[in-house]
Amino acid sequence: MNTQQAVIELLEDLTGTDISNNLDENLFTSGVLDSMATVELLLELQAKFGIDVPVSEFDRSEWETPNKIIAKVESLA
Amino acid sequence: MTVDIIKAIDAVATKTPNAVAYNYLGQTNTYAELKQDSDALANYIDGLNLATGSPIMVYGDQTFAMIATFLACVKSGHAYIPVDQHSPNERLLMIQEIAQPQLVIAVKTLPVELPETDILDAAQLQTVFQQASPYQLTHAVKNDDNFYIIFTSGTTGQPKGVQISHQNLISFVDWMVTDFDLPQRPISLAQAPYSFDLSVMDLYPTLVMGGELQVLPKKVTDNFKTLFATLPSLALNVWVSTPSLIDIILLEPSFKQDKYPELTHFIFCGEELTHQTAAELNRRFPAAQVFNTYGPTEATVAVTAVKITPAILNDYQRLPIGYAKADTTIQLDQVNAENQVGELIISGPSVSRGYLNSPEKTAQVFSTASQRAYRSGDLATIDATGLIFYKGRTDFQIKLNGYRIELEEVNHYLNQQDLIKQAVAVPKYNRQHKVTALLAYVVLKTSDDRPAFEVTKQLKQQLQQEMMAYMIPQRFVYRSALPLTVNGKVDIKALIKEANAND
Repeated sequence: MNTQQAVIELLEDLTGTDISNNLDENLFTSGVLDSMATVELLLELQAKFGIDVPVSEFDRSEWETPNKIIAKVESLA
Repeated sequence: MTVDIIKAIDAVATKTPNAVAYNYLGQTNTYAELKQDSDALANYIDGLNLATGSPIMVYGDQTFAMIATFLACVKSGHAYIPVDQHSPNERLLMIQEIAQPQLVIAVKTLPVELPETDILDAAQLQTVFQQASPYQLTHAVKNDDNFYIIFTSGTTGQPKGVQISHQNLISFVDWMVTDFDLPQRPISLAQAPYSFDLSVMDLYPTLVMGGELQVLPKKVTDNFKTLFATLPSLALNVWVSTPSLIDIILLEPSFKQDKYPELTHFIFCGEELTHQTAAELNRRFPAAQVFNTYGPTEATVAVTAVKITPAILNDYQRLPIGYAKADTTIQLDQVNAENQVGELIISGPSVSRGYLNSPEKTAQVFSTASQRAYRSGDLATIDATGLIFYKGRTDFQIKLNGYRIELEEVNHYLNQQDLIKQAVAVPKYNRQHKVTALLAYVVLKTSDDRPAFEVTKQLKQQLQQEMMAYMIPQRFVYRSALPLTVNGKVDIKALIKEANAND
C-alpha cells in the first residue's frame, strides 16, 4: 500500500469520513480533527510509518490537509 | 478563613500593589491595576441604575479585561454570567432570554445583536477603565447573593443557569486554600475558558492568595508546537486542568521535574483521572502532589479530593474521586444491595440554590428539606473511610475533554437538521472508561449522492451555528435505519456497543 492510500485509510479510521476526494481540505478549520484526534493521528503515524514526530515539533500549519500529511510522512519516512 | 472574596482580593492590592495578578502570554497586570479597573467599572455600573441584584452578561475571551469586569460586577452588587467567545449565536440568544440581563459587557465584539439590552462594547469598556476613581464597597454581592451564574448543558437544548452565591464560593475557596497544601502566592495555570467552571478552580484561590494567573489561551493549546514553546516560560507552581490536557502534555518526554522544578501541584477536575495518567505523573514528578477532585457545577466546582499517592495507585486500578470536603455531606441514595452502588447526594454550604428562572428544573434535582441538597445523577460507592468511587451516570450525561454533555441535547440539535431524518449520538470509550469522541449515527431524509465527507462537513457547519463546538460529534456514520428496542425506541445501548466493538 502506498503512503497516500495508507494516510487516507488512517484518517478514515480516525474520523469516520472518507477524505479521498478532498485531499486539500483543511482538516482543522473544517472540524474533521480536534485536538484529541490530532494526538491520535500523531501516535498512529508514528506507529504505522515508524517516523519520529515529537509533539513539541508538531506545527499544525504543516499538517493541516491530507496532502500535507502525505508529503510530511514521505519526507520523514 | 475567608469571609469575603472581594475584600480579600482588594486587600492583596493594598498589601502588594505591584505584584502581578494576571499574565497573558507576557502581557502582565498587577493587583493595583485589577483594583483600579474593577473600581472604575463598578462606579460606571452604579451610574446605570440597574435593578438590584440583576445579573450582567460578560462575553469575551481570556484576557485581563474579563477578570477585571467580573470583579466590577460583584463589587457593584451584580452577579456575572461568563460567556465564552466561541459560543454559537443561538446559545447567546438563549442565555439572554433565560437570564434577562439589563447589561451585557462585550469584552470581545458580540457576533449577534442582543435585542432590548444595553451593551457596553470593548472600546467603551477601555474608556471606562481609564477613568480611575476609588470605589466604596457599600452594596457588593454578599452572603446568599449570586456571585456568578454559569450555564451548563440541558437535555432539551435549553441551557441551565447554575446560580453560585458568594457563600457557595467562599466554601469552595476556603477548602482549596486550606486542604491542598498550596504554596504561598502560587503561580497557577489558567487554561479553561471562563464559561467552564473549572476556571474558578484557579481564578479565585490564586487571587485571594495574592498569586499570579498564567494564562494559556485556546489559540496556544490548539497548536502543539506553540504550546510546548510557551509552557516552560510560564514557571508554574500549580497545574489546574482536565486530565485530557495533561495527556497531550505527557506526550512530550521533556515534561518532567528537572525541566519544571517549580511545578509542585497538579489538580485535576472535570472528568475521570485514569490510573495510567496519574502513575506517569508520579513517575515524572516524584516530588509533586497530584490531586484528583470531583464535583458538579451545581455544588461549586468540586466537593471531593484525594491525593494520588503511590499507595493509592497500588491499591486501586480505577482511582477514587476523593473524600467529601469538611463542610459537606455526601451520601448515597437507593443503594443497590448487590454492588453497593447508589446515586451521590451532595449537601452543604457550596450547594447552589438552583437554576436561574427555572423553578421546575430546580425542583427536580435540588431539595431544601433540612439542608440544601443536590441530586447529582452520578453513581458511586463509598468505603468505610469515606473514600468515594465513581461508577457512572444514572442518565445519558457524559464528560468529553472535561465538558459536560447531555446526549439528549446533542440528539435534539441533530434531529433539527433539514438533512437528517433521525440521528443519535453515542460516546466512544477508551480502555480507561474515558470518553474520547462522540459518534453520530445518522439516517438521512433523502439519499445523498455526495461523498459522506461533504455531507458531514455541511452538517458540522450547520451545527456550529447552533451548538457549542465541544458538543458536535466528531464522527458521522450514515445508516439506512437505526436499531430499535422492543418498545420501538432507538436502541442506544446497542449502538454504544457497536461503536465500542473494535477495542
